Amino acid sequence: MQLLFTLLQTLLDGIMLGGVYAVLAVGLSLVFGVMHIVNFAHAEFMMIGMFIGWLCWHYLGLDPMLGAFVALVVTFFFGMLVQRFLIRPILGAPQVAQIFLTVGLLFALENAALMIMGAEFRSVTTPYQTQSVILFASGPERLLVGMDKLYAFLMALASGAAVWLFLNKTRFGTAMRATSQDPMAAKLMGVNTNLMYAVAFGLGVGVTAFGGSVVLPYITASPAIGTSFAVLMFTVVVLGGLGSVTGAIIGGIAVGLIQSFSALVLPIQLQNLALFAVFILTLALRPEGLVARRRS
Amino acid sequence: MTRSHPLARLLLVATIAALAVVPLFLDPFGYALRILCLMLLFGALGQAWNIVGGLANQISLGHAAYFGIGAYSSTILFGSFGLTPILGAVVGAVLASIFALLLSIPTLRLKGHYFALATLAAGEMARIVANSWTSVTGGPVGISVPFRPEAGPWALQFETALPNYYLFFAAFLIVTLIFWRVKTSAFGYRLRAIKENEIAAEVVGVDTYRVKLQASVLSAALTAVLGTLYAQFQFFFDPDTIFGVATISVKMALIAILGGVGTIFGPWVGALVIIPLEELANSWLGNSLAGLSQFTYGVLLIVVILLNPRGLISLAETLRDRLSRRNGQ
Amino acid sequence: MTQKTKTTLLMTRRQALIAGSAAALAAPLYARSSFAQSNVINVGVIQPLSGANAQFGINSRNGIQLVADEINANGGIAALGGAQINLVISDATSNPTQAATVAQRMMSQDNVVAVLGAFASSLTLAISEVTERRRVPLLTMSFADQVTGRGFRNIFQVVSKASALGGATVTHTRDLARANGTEISRIAIMYEDTAYGTAQANGLRNSAAANGIEVVMDEAYPLGITDVSPLINQLRRTEAQVVFPVSYLNDSLLIIRNMRQQGITTPTVGGAAGYIIPDFRNGLGDLSENVLSISPAAYDQAPDYTDRFRDRFGYFMVHEAQEHAACMGVLASALEIAGEANPQAIREVLASTTFDQGWATVMSGGRIAFDETGLNIHAVPMMVQWRGDELVTVAPSEYAKAEAVWNA
Repeated sequence: MQLLFTLLQTLLDGIMLGGVYAVLAVGLSLVFGVMHIVNFAHAEFMMIGMFIGWLCWHYLGLDPMLGAFVALVVTFFFGMLVQRFLIRPILGAPQVAQIFLTVGLLFALENAALMIMGAEFRSVTTPYQTQSVILFASGPERLLVGMDKLYAFLMALASGAAVWLFLNKTRFGTAMRATSQDPMAAKLMGVNTNLMYAVAFGLGVGVTAFGGSVVLPYITASPAIGTSFAVLMFTVVVLGGLGSVTGAIIGGIAVGLIQSFSALVLPIQLQNLALFAVFILTLALRPEGLVARRRS
Repeated sequence: MTRSHPLARLLLVATIAALAVVPLFLDPFGYALRILCLMLLFGALGQAWNIVGGLANQISLGHAAYFGIGAYSSTILFGSFGLTPILGAVVGAVLASIFALLLSIPTLRLKGHYFALATLAAGEMARIVANSWTSVTGGPVGISVPFRPEAGPWALQFETALPNYYLFFAAFLIVTLIFWRVKTSAFGYRLRAIKENEIAAEVVGVDTYRVKLQASVLSAALTAVLGTLYAQFQFFFDPDTIFGVATISVKMALIAILGGVGTIFGPWVGALVIIPLEELANSWLGNSLAGLSQFTYGVLLIVVILLNPRGLISLAETLRDRLSRRNGQ
Repeated sequence: MTQKTKTTLLMTRRQALIAGSAAALAAPLYARSSFAQSNVINVGVIQPLSGANAQFGINSRNGIQLVADEINANGGIAALGGAQINLVISDATSNPTQAATVAQRMMSQDNVVAVLGAFASSLTLAISEVTERRRVPLLTMSFADQVTGRGFRNIFQVVSKASALGGATVTHTRDLARANGTEISRIAIMYEDTAYGTAQANGLRNSAAANGIEVVMDEAYPLGITDVSPLINQLRRTEAQVVFPVSYLNDSLLIIRNMRQQGITTPTVGGAAGYIIPDFRNGLGDLSENVLSISPAAYDQAPDYTDRFRDRFGYFMVHEAQEHAACMGVLASALEIAGEANPQAIREVLASTTFDQGWATVMSGGRIAFDETGLNIHAVPMMVQWRGDELVTVAPSEYAKAEAVWNA
């Protein structure tokens, strides 16, 4: 009985955590899918989103779940600027140059945040942080989920769905997908590919910033927070399959589950060792990720 | 570097001569010597990375694993058994080669970004192991090389940094020489064939897997030896630094790439620019607003790549071409 | 040894002649002019001013700056003709290689008489390898046992070692509980797998064993963990009477909130770092009330001094600022006694003197004296407890400013 509860609780924890990884990674996946650029600075936009969410909470009294929308809008435009002036000039450059431009961007953004916001850890205080829903109880055993995680999970699902609808059900989204598959052909068909790239990048970092604000109730904002998520985000995106929304969501949940279940059999200290081992093996056996994208 | 300009050859000889002589006139305990040491170390690291990253275009972001294996092997063997780091370096090189072999099974068929990300994860795995295997590595607090200058040259420890400098210098020249031999040999042509077009290379009979494997192992072994030299120079390191993504893996690649990926002098130029650049940012701005020096470093990196995405060496090549064209007229 | 100093000096002169040829490579390295006037004493300050530990580095710098400014405003070092203290401050980033390079630069270019730093023990250990070889004293508040455990002669640790901190955490907690009629026999330990976390957990573990207390949970977790549910799930299944989390801020907030979510009210005793900074209170609000933590120093022990920090910077004097201020205070006293700005003369004074004047008194025990390893023999770990926005010392009893509140 106790074992059953432990397994179910672990499953639940893993899914909740995975949902959050998913929303952080959807944006990265979008950027890669459309522009084929590995953006090492992507996690810094999560950090920016967290700070925007915190500022909205601190000065306007806005809940981080609402502040997330402010973060989305602000970073969307900021991302478009970054794309226009930093990313576009190197779209045709060797892959290595692209990688290291984003590494430079990572340093610049993290330390710009340090200069503007200071080194303090910024945390929000909301009533639901210490609340939880008990789904099921029997004797001393119970299944519960923290409200902060539940909200974050629901917001994550909603934003994933919105991005999916945008890409698959709107004309703009269709044009964007066309650009990702064959930029030349798209251009010939009258698609403004430069605009597509800018919007894809803006939206990509915007969604990640949105995710940053959503996790604010349980992750503290600080300038260096992005670096601890950078590798994790890539793991999610690649596990699920680069460039697809559903892939990012499945990848996110897979990572959440690997982390929570590995804690049952291994010391918690080694949870990322298990994760990276699964990651490398998945790449070897299924380089397209868990969700293979249809080849064009 | 097929046809070398006489001016370039002169420059090369002058650089090597200067590197050999200048340190004799520097304070043997001093800062300038330390910076030169770091430049040579990272130049050599960039060059070792260049063998697999530059020639075969396998962008590895996990080379810190080999570097750390080298540093830990010699330090643990010296600390626990008094084994000379010279042999420790050999053990480290063997272990790193084995790690490269094992890693190659799942990763070597991966391409582009996937390879980069898989190696990144592998480097992180090495870090986690060093961090949690406390009984062997000492764990997160790090490990010190016991200071035993009385053990003589076998301990590879010296009162001043001058002998370290010449060790780095020798390593730098040897790695460069190996790179040059590889690049100009049939092996090098096969590697470059893979870089240009892997399928075509296979069609003409290149065993691409085998060639990539050989290059990886060579690169890993050299990196491990450099790890030992670093440990003997720095005397203290911890898992986060020695297996660091930003401090080692990315920096090695960055130095090769910024200079000019796959070229013999790329890592020279890269180290000559990056190490002093970091120092400049740190010494001029480290005292002012927190974060400004790192911010400036990041911005400079962006600017350099935006101005010259193909590496600084291409600047020199453009210049040379222009010069020789003018001479020809 | 005098021989060596002489050679170094000769070298410097010869070096000046050669500077021209070396300029191509080393130009940027000489770009910063060093203070050479006789009425200025250069003191090196190396702190992590960027990266994950930036906040602590900045706090430390503030503490040192405060003391140096006070000394200078009061006429400098009297024994040296009123020489002013000039702080040469540099960013160690989070990288020990960089920290060692910075130390090398300060000693070569700026001729610093001593170095203060560098919060994180990995940075301090790397710096000490350089300062030891150049025989320049390094004063630190890093509490890893290794700092003074390697037989170095030029390192001075003003705080208790991590093992002692961990040990005191257990014994103080047991005493506080006992005073409230609870006998502690089962504890849980959870710690981040960093140098600081593992060292302190070791102290907790050893002290528990020595006191016949059973450790029912002993779990390390990776730095930057996003979900502590597995830890708290595990804690819930134990019968631990006290939980000792050793972590920086984010994990400490996660742990406390997650415990509340699961309805766990086990008393929590933090391991310094994240538990005793204003952000802990800001992040948790009322949940922080009565949370206990160990601390290597407490600001309410010397309010006359620490209030000056609060007046200038607007927040209470966090322990790393206080300990670094003590380092600076000790150094100033040592300069007064030595009467010369010579690193080895300062080292001799540091090794042989009990410092009980000025900022040296802010450390627990009210004075500082170093044993042959360089450890401050008067350092006593303090148990502090959150009361509103303030930390109050509750143990050991001779230092306590208030009665501890024990909710069990």
